[in-house]
Amino acid sequence: MKLSFTLNGEPVAADVAPDELLVEVIRGLGLTGTKQGCGVGVCGLCTVLVGDRPVSSCLYLAACAEGEQVWTAEGLARAEPALIRAFAEQEGMQCGICTPGQVVTAAALAREHPAATDAELRHHQAGTLCRCTGYQTIFAAVRAYLDSR
Amino acid sequence: MASAAGPGGEIRPDAYRKASGQARYVADLSLPGMLHAAVVRSPLPHARITGVDASAALAVPGVAGVFTAADVTPRPYGRAVRDVPVLAAGRVRFTGERVAAVVAGTRRAAAAAAALVEVSYEELPAVLTAAEAITPEAPPVHDAPWDYRGAAVSAADGRNLQSRVVHGSAAEASAALGRADHVVDRVYTTPSGHQGYLEPQACLAAAGPGRVRIWATNKSPYRLRGQLAECLGLDPAAVEVEPVPLGGDFGGKGSPMDIPLCAELSRLTGQPVKLVLSYGEDLTATNPRHPARIRVQAGCDRDGRLIALSVRALLNGGAYAGFKPLATAGLHGIEDAALAYDIPAVFIESLIAYTHTVPRGHMRSPGSPQANFAVESALDELAAAAGLDPVSFRQRNLARAGGPGGHGREWAEARGSQTLAAAVARAGQQPAAVPPGWRHGTGVAVYAREAPPIRGTSVRLEPGPGDTVRVGVPIPETGTGNHAVVRNLLAAELGISPGQVEVVQLATSELPADPGVGGSRVTVGMAAALIRAAQAWRDRAGDGPVLAGTGADGTDQADGADGTPAVVSYCAQAATVAVDPGTGQVAVLDLTTAVDVGRIVSPRAHQMQIDGGAVMGYGFACLEDLLEEDGQLMAANLGEFKIPSAADIPPLRTVLVTGGQGVTSAGVKPVGELANVPVAAAVANAVAAATGCRIRDLPVTAERVYWALRGEAPAAQVQRP
Repeated sequence: MKLSFTLNGEPVAADVAPDELLVEVIRGLGLTGTKQGCGVGVCGLCTVLVGDRPVSSCLYLAACAEGEQVWTAEGLARAEPALIRAFAEQEGMQCGICTPGQVVTAAALAREHPAATDAELRHHQAGTLCRCTGYQTIFAAVRAYLDSR
Repeated sequence: MASAAGPGGEIRPDAYRKASGQARYVADLSLPGMLHAAVVRSPLPHARITGVDASAALAVPGVAGVFTAADVTPRPYGRAVRDVPVLAAGRVRFTGERVAAVVAGTRRAAAAAAALVEVSYEELPAVLTAAEAITPEAPPVHDAPWDYRGAAVSAADGRNLQSRVVHGSAAEASAALGRADHVVDRVYTTPSGHQGYLEPQACLAAAGPGRVRIWATNKSPYRLRGQLAECLGLDPAAVEVEPVPLGGDFGGKGSPMDIPLCAELSRLTGQPVKLVLSYGEDLTATNPRHPARIRVQAGCDRDGRLIALSVRALLNGGAYAGFKPLATAGLHGIEDAALAYDIPAVFIESLIAYTHTVPRGHMRSPGSPQANFAVESALDELAAAAGLDPVSFRQRNLARAGGPGGHGREWAEARGSQTLAAAVARAGQQPAAVPPGWRHGTGVAVYAREAPPIRGTSVRLEPGPGDTVRVGVPIPETGTGNHAVVRNLLAAELGISPGQVEVVQLATSELPADPGVGGSRVTVGMAAALIRAAQAWRDRAGDGPVLAGTGADGTDQADGADGTPAVVSYCAQAATVAVDPGTGQVAVLDLTTAVDVGRIVSPRAHQMQIDGGAVMGYGFACLEDLLEEDGQLMAANLGEFKIPSAADIPPLRTVLVTGGQGVTSAGVKPVGELANVPVAAAVANAVAAATGCRIRDLPVTAERVYWALRGEAPAAQVQRP
């Protein structure tokens, strides 16, 4: 089936299977910043923005993105460099495999609730797991980004 | 917020790449003509394979082939013990074992076809726990395990043994226990757990005539090269392991895992082949942590001085021993149980059994979380028996500066006493906000770990563009920030800014050899190699500017035996918990970690080793259990196998006990495998302090506490180890 949506500000037209997942389509376009982790919508590695909402693209049928604005870490790096800078400067990462998901999740928070308290910030990021850092530098990165806006 | 300028404050070199989605991991790589593989796995713990019907799978469009043991090398592989078949031949030995592999043009087609491969089995009696496995009646998992290359056992050993390690004299420990005024004799168990790296295991292999190139989620490229060459019958020089970052390791990415299979599939199809596991495969069929049953007997005199300790550990090693690197096939954390203390008579026995369950491997400080939970819980029980509080009891028994180190070893220094005192003082500063009606208490635990011997790491320095130096290293960036550590160390050695150093991982043909990442060896080994390389570089630059050097290699001391006493790091933790007597729910209100440190090269990366370790320890203490049932791991996705999220973690506090004497002139101490270890005992000790109930089986769940508060065992007993 034919699918048209906007990916990181650019129009995309793709021929997809009805059961194809959004993460497969995005990665198939060479944008491998969106990672595949648990495959069951728990770890948050594959988080992308559909409109202003963070979704697990491993559970999201590509067909549902028809006509939507979709953003990944690669696009946010261009559109919102302060977000990437906050993660780099606060060292909000170690292995980096969850970092694009953390970045996208943080971008959603800035859209939904830019005045989030620290407790709200932690709750918001809880859908994206990190096994390396113990989360403290990720919290610091998201806080620095919200404060920079 | 620390400044972004200056050594240690620089932004890590991969930070922008990772945050912007530009960093490429194995699963992100493609080669022209690349095919995708999927694995057909056994649904039974022990069975004879009576037939494989691939006709339906071969009819799936895009399938290039379906392969079984008959198609691949019959040579088993492994890290020390070579007992792992590339594909199961004749019989399967665990639920999840590789039976066949499908190669197709797309990952979807490969997975769809794999589901259509019909394997027929004749089920055989299985042995699922270590305790059953070592009885004479147990079915043998392997007919002659001592015949495998690198086997750690002999035909004279008992049935189904992978590893037996003994230290000290059981008779002496037993005699000393007989003289003790107070004795405890308790059994503790820990479950199967998983490293929980979030990047699934993956491999891309490109085989050509008589050679193969490998990109893999493996942290020891040079060892992998040797393992692959041996298994595939190639010259090591014909195996090139290419540089690629890893998406987390924690001990789980040191094994050859599915890499020999991927290489064989590339050879068989004549195309590059990529195999990326599903996370369910990672959880159930790779190399998770050994579950353990540990009996601790400890005795002290009337003054609370420990006089004897006996630790007998029985661990489930699963169907193959090949994912463990030590020649003994043991876990050094078991051998090093109670290393923090000066105890006159210590006996330690570690038995690891073959069973028809998933093969076990290394996980962050292998063996230590299990042994530390058992010993540090038992010490609290002994302190109570002796009428002493747990902190002063430990202070009486920690190894002291000037005396022998733990287990009678020679140490440069022993700073356990200060470290424990620092943890207790800091934890006491925070009054706990206890919910009404809940009980609360604080527990402590201590861990000591020796820095590993330095051995066989190499680096290469070359002039880079402009005023820069390029340093080639043999190790992947596993996530710890090890490349930033190299950058900062070299900059300090050469007196230049970190921004003038570029760090690159080189392919395995570029440097002599390296033992890889693991065993807390990277910072100390790299420091030793960099000091030598920087010296050679400065010598060549002579009186000219330091950046006029023309290239230099540095290798650390290959034997590591420079005669200096071992460097040891202490870690002490204090956990404050609140327990709801109605439900058994445990809330960790505060987790304070004190670490005995030397020079810190990358402060934030160092702190993340502590925070990340403490959080991983919290998962081990309270959440994580792969839940074995009839030989199958039931927690087969990250929803069932719950690792700590941002919403789960307790407040974390750290005290750095500075001024420690580190390794080499760089003065560094390892930090990566400390803070994950004592958490579980600290939490269990805190629950006991809060409620009077002792939890001896991890994790400390609400259900266990609920039943303990009522003086009963949980309704369903778990199978372990």
